[in-house]
Amino acid sequence: MVGPQYDLVGNPLGAVRATFERTAAAAASESGGADPVAAFRGKDWGAGDLFRSFLFEQDGLGKVPVLDASNLGLIKPNTLVRYRGMVQDMLGNEYYIGAFKDGSTWRTNKYTDFSPFSMPHPCDSHLWERHLFHCVPAPGQNSWTLESSPGPDVRRMPNCLAPELREKRKRDGDDDAMDVSENGHGESSFCKKPKEGDVHVSSSSTEVAGTVPEMNGGDHHIPGSSFSCLVKIYDMPESQVKLNDVIEFIGVYTFDPELAAPSDNPDDIMLDLMEDVTVQLPPSKVPRLHCLVWRKLSSHDFISRPVVEPSPSLLKGIRQSLLSHLTLVLGNDELAAQCLLLHLLSRLRNRVDVVTVGRLSLNFAGFNKESASIFGNQLYSLIQKLVPYSQAIPLSIDYLNSATLQPRKDNKSGRLVTGVLQLPQGTHLTFDETLLQTGSLTSKGVENTMLLKNLMESQKVDYDFEYYKLEMAADVQLLTLSEGKSNILPSDLVVPFRPSSVPTVNAGAEETESWRWYLATVRSLPQSTEPETYQMIQDEMVSAMRDDRSLGCSELSRWLTMAQIMASSFGEKSLSLEHWHMVKELERLRKQRMQ
Amino acid sequence: MSTDDIPPSSEAGDDETDGGGGVDATPVFVWGTNISVQDVNAAILRFLRHFRDPRDAGRVDPVMDEGKYMRAIHRILELEGGESLDVDAHDVFDHDPDLYSKMVRYPLEVLAIFDIVLMDLVARIEPLFEKHIQTRIYNLKSSICLRNLNPSDIEKMVSIKGMIIRCSSVIPELKEAVFRCLVCGFYSDPVMVDRGRVTEPHICQKEQCKATNSMTLVHNRCRFSDKQIIKLQETPDEIPEGGTPHTVSVLMHDKLVDAGKPGDRVEITGIYRAMSIRVGPTQRTVKSIFKTYIDCLHIKKTDKSRLHVEDTMDIDSSNASKSTEEDFLSDKVEKLKELSKLPDIYDRLTRSLAPNIWELDDVKRGLLCQLFDGNPLKLPSGASFRGDINILLVGDPGTSKSQLLQYMHKLSPRGIYTSGRGSSAVGLTAYVTKDPETGETVMEQQTVSIAKAGIIASLNARTSVLACANPTESRYNPRLSVIDNIHLAPTLLSRFDLIYLILDKADEQTDRRLAKHIVSLHFENPNLEELEVLDLQTLVSYISYARKYIQPQLSDEAAEELTRGYVEMRKRGNSPGSRKKVITATARQIESLIRLSEALARMRFSEVVEVRDVVEAFRLLEVAMQQSATDHATGTIDMDLIMTGISASERQRRENLVAATRNLIVEKMQLGGPSMRMIELLEELRKQSSMEIHLHELRGALGTLMTEGAVIIHGDNVKRV
Repeated sequence: MVGPQYDLVGNPLGAVRATFERTAAAAASESGGADPVAAFRGKDWGAGDLFRSFLFEQDGLGKVPVLDASNLGLIKPNTLVRYRGMVQDMLGNEYYIGAFKDGSTWRTNKYTDFSPFSMPHPCDSHLWERHLFHCVPAPGQNSWTLESSPGPDVRRMPNCLAPELREKRKRDGDDDAMDVSENGHGESSFCKKPKEGDVHVSSSSTEVAGTVPEMNGGDHHIPGSSFSCLVKIYDMPESQVKLNDVIEFIGVYTFDPELAAPSDNPDDIMLDLMEDVTVQLPPSKVPRLHCLVWRKLSSHDFISRPVVEPSPSLLKGIRQSLLSHLTLVLGNDELAAQCLLLHLLSRLRNRVDVVTVGRLSLNFAGFNKESASIFGNQLYSLIQKLVPYSQAIPLSIDYLNSATLQPRKDNKSGRLVTGVLQLPQGTHLTFDETLLQTGSLTSKGVENTMLLKNLMESQKVDYDFEYYKLEMAADVQLLTLSEGKSNILPSDLVVPFRPSSVPTVNAGAEETESWRWYLATVRSLPQSTEPETYQMIQDEMVSAMRDDRSLGCSELSRWLTMAQIMASSFGEKSLSLEHWHMVKELERLRKQRMQ
Repeated sequence: MSTDDIPPSSEAGDDETDGGGGVDATPVFVWGTNISVQDVNAAILRFLRHFRDPRDAGRVDPVMDEGKYMRAIHRILELEGGESLDVDAHDVFDHDPDLYSKMVRYPLEVLAIFDIVLMDLVARIEPLFEKHIQTRIYNLKSSICLRNLNPSDIEKMVSIKGMIIRCSSVIPELKEAVFRCLVCGFYSDPVMVDRGRVTEPHICQKEQCKATNSMTLVHNRCRFSDKQIIKLQETPDEIPEGGTPHTVSVLMHDKLVDAGKPGDRVEITGIYRAMSIRVGPTQRTVKSIFKTYIDCLHIKKTDKSRLHVEDTMDIDSSNASKSTEEDFLSDKVEKLKELSKLPDIYDRLTRSLAPNIWELDDVKRGLLCQLFDGNPLKLPSGASFRGDINILLVGDPGTSKSQLLQYMHKLSPRGIYTSGRGSSAVGLTAYVTKDPETGETVMEQQTVSIAKAGIIASLNARTSVLACANPTESRYNPRLSVIDNIHLAPTLLSRFDLIYLILDKADEQTDRRLAKHIVSLHFENPNLEELEVLDLQTLVSYISYARKYIQPQLSDEAAEELTRGYVEMRKRGNSPGSRKKVITATARQIESLIRLSEALARMRFSEVVEVRDVVEAFRLLEVAMQQSATDHATGTIDMDLIMTGISASERQRRENLVAATRNLIVEKMQLGGPSMRMIELLEELRKQSSMEIHLHELRGALGTLMTEGAVIIHGDNVKRV
């Protein structure tokens, strides 16, 4: 469509309204003026298409600034921004006057919190709805993921810079940067060190107090997170977005100091009683984003590597380099490295009632405090470099008794108070159980332990809704480092850890990137298994049971999981006998160690 | 025009011609469509006067000459109470579908006329009746999921189910204000409050006074009404996967205030309304965003949970009469009843329970009995018998015990938590221990170790208990008793009606089935045979219905069978060759058997417990007992194993040892003579006896003798006294 006609980044609402008024006028002349906009409820009249085509077909995505804690306050309200965050809470629907008749012209309030034109009173109008989502930066998000899709530096984009700040820049007489961005090459300069005279939130915060959002530091519902965003989504069923989804939202950033002012209507007691959840998230602290386009992010979206065909030969090569690196990090314990690789490639593939298929939690036993600090730290920092979201949890009595693991609905504030276990799908958790000493667990400690156990056994987290618990499906990789086998967190796979050298680590950036790509690719590789394989596996299982009566349902099921991951790890789409035997050999070595 | 692709969720669909957002339009505009006040007036009058409950049809009773609502009006007048008339919307629909649809679409206007017609009617019957009677509509033809409310429902009558999560305090709202002149003391006429505002007269109305700015509000002469806001939240079963519950504010007036409390599940009938929010001080920001709430007309409490039926809540007095079966739509009930008539319903239910958990059919049958429950019984003497069936699963690790447990947990209503505030085990603490040798960590909870032999979950907030225990050793030792295997107090163990041992058995056929089962879990195997099963939702409805409406009674034949079977079971205890009687059944078993038989009858929706139910109950009990109470030394079923942890043969052995020791002491030692060392006694005993004797066994026997006063023990020395 017509791209350059509008400044979609600097004035997205202009484009929204222009398309609306044009479409409405056309519809009016067609229908003979009856009510042309009724049909626009819950529909895109072409504005969304315009932005989609700009972002994805004309390479516009790279021109849209990324809204984050560093530039909040620099960005001019009503400009187009990108925001990546996890859906932390769903706040229901909001009704607003979507369209109203101003004289003979239909106008729209879509993608904004207020009406840009004064609305005649009374007037013909339409009530529309939008969904509200409270989003926070994804918990445990590793820093490398942020580099994957940087936006342009808003400081060099005059059309998107908050006016007060622009003024300040002019006064400072630093025209150099301005020139660059005015020539339209702003995005190339993001990696430059900020120059003296560049605007920092901190230096200007006093000057612009009250006119830019402040950080939402004191929100006890999401401790530790300083930056959240209230996203308003249009024209879709709410069920398309799930709690804990990590999503990139592209839309209009709004901030209106008038909206931030408290209600001046004290005599209306009704309003106070029906207090909205959004009152808890004042616009002065939580920016609003009216979403035009959104997409769920998978781990592939964080990898900047060009798209390559995942051929078995390519994957095999990377597998070898990753495995040898894991072996080095694990002090030359190759068995442990093999198991770790399978663990890192595991994901929840299927859930049948209470049976979960595909998970492979891992317990490295044989650590003490010293080795946990040497190997554990190396291991954890490697994991951080490999997966998009990871967290390390110190499993001590103290931690269990005091940590808030369970997300809980606060019915008084109407919001979900987050807990450690509110996690995006695919998160990796490392528990250090060497810190656990003999001691008493309080009822909270017991509850926390049960939550962890339940997560481990069924990949589910119970969220506390005061009057009932709501089970939320999770897909979390769990690694436990412990002295002996952990009975508190019973893992699928227990491996006594036997290092023979100190860990050595030095991985090049390019290697690391290829490993990330490998992990993301293998985990998403489809599996198609031939019916002949079913029979073969069944025969193998029966003969395995004949040889060892201690094999039970859960163990054989785990073998099959491991064999499937083993096949994928070589880039193979279907499982063969060879992989099954590799797993049996791994199990033999592992059991030897267990004795 | 069908361009609008979001259909209005209420049946009161908004015609496009009415303008979907007639929010700001005055009622006249909406009114102006095709409805005449007179027509509605007449229709309401007809309905009130002539509606007759079809259920009254067969009755010949002079009082029945009048319609249902005329009788209700008379009742209100007689009692001079109940200032509201509850009107079942189904009645309106049955009598006049057109009136129903107008009422749902334009509730504000139609209800205003309803009230006027009603008051006219009352005035004609009882001219002196002064109280205002309000019409309260309930039981709309369909209710909406809270999350499906949308702008086209605004100003419509809706019916919504949910759970109250918060109640505001009660707010008195000024309705009529009375002022007094500070100068002359004159009281003004009541001034009506208009949209939250009251105009204070600035001149005294008294001719002689006419003072200005002298009027002051007299609180105790003003008329107030109560008002309250509650927050209604979606119930868990309506929340889609990965979603969180929606909430809506509900405005309660007058009598509805405090009609519900947090935690209650209710069905609200009311008018969905939107109110503009003043978001900023200037005109331009006004009225862009709306707040929504439901103006409540009627509140009805519904069941607390899906399976929890004993404490059906006190339903509003007004409609207590028709509480039965209303939660189950009649067509749904028909479907369930049809299912219950299937000859293979028992097997089908068994297959439907945890279909992805492998085999264990008899265990699943026991679990089914638990879900259906027996009848709790309270005798006039005050003695009461529980109706719930408690089950313990014991077995090897790796068998699907805990998965079965989780499945049952899922099947039990999510709402079971509602009965107790704060859902988790309150005050439960534990102790973490670490094995000094292996470094293994274990969480010990009270006396039961969670990691090793823990009771993991209870099925129901009431008393049915489903527990699951792993043996203390890595595998179940069939040579030891259940008690020795799981270290559970015998008193606790005897509370379980059924104790299942789930052991891993070596058998090629079983192995092959297991392998097939595992493979089918991992691959979506199209070759697997599909047996007919009930889906989870149907299973839950089926169980709920049975528990709520089926109360089977023991038939005479069944009672006879019960006695016969029990006697036979006890007879079997007289194992041949043993001079001592082995008890195989206890009185507690009779209670268990009755409960199981009742549950089995319920599974067929049968009001009578038949002989076949009793026979199956015996079978279930025996299957479980054979597994858990078999004395492995003799091969007989021995309830002592469960009651005391010591089998009858073991007890016999101990008694023999005590006797042998007593004889030995009498033979070898003199009264008050020199003492003997225990080890010497042991050697002597071993010489005499063919059985293997351990020192600790001897110590035990000597302990018994010491309590008899026959010996004294000093450390390792034994003295005859």
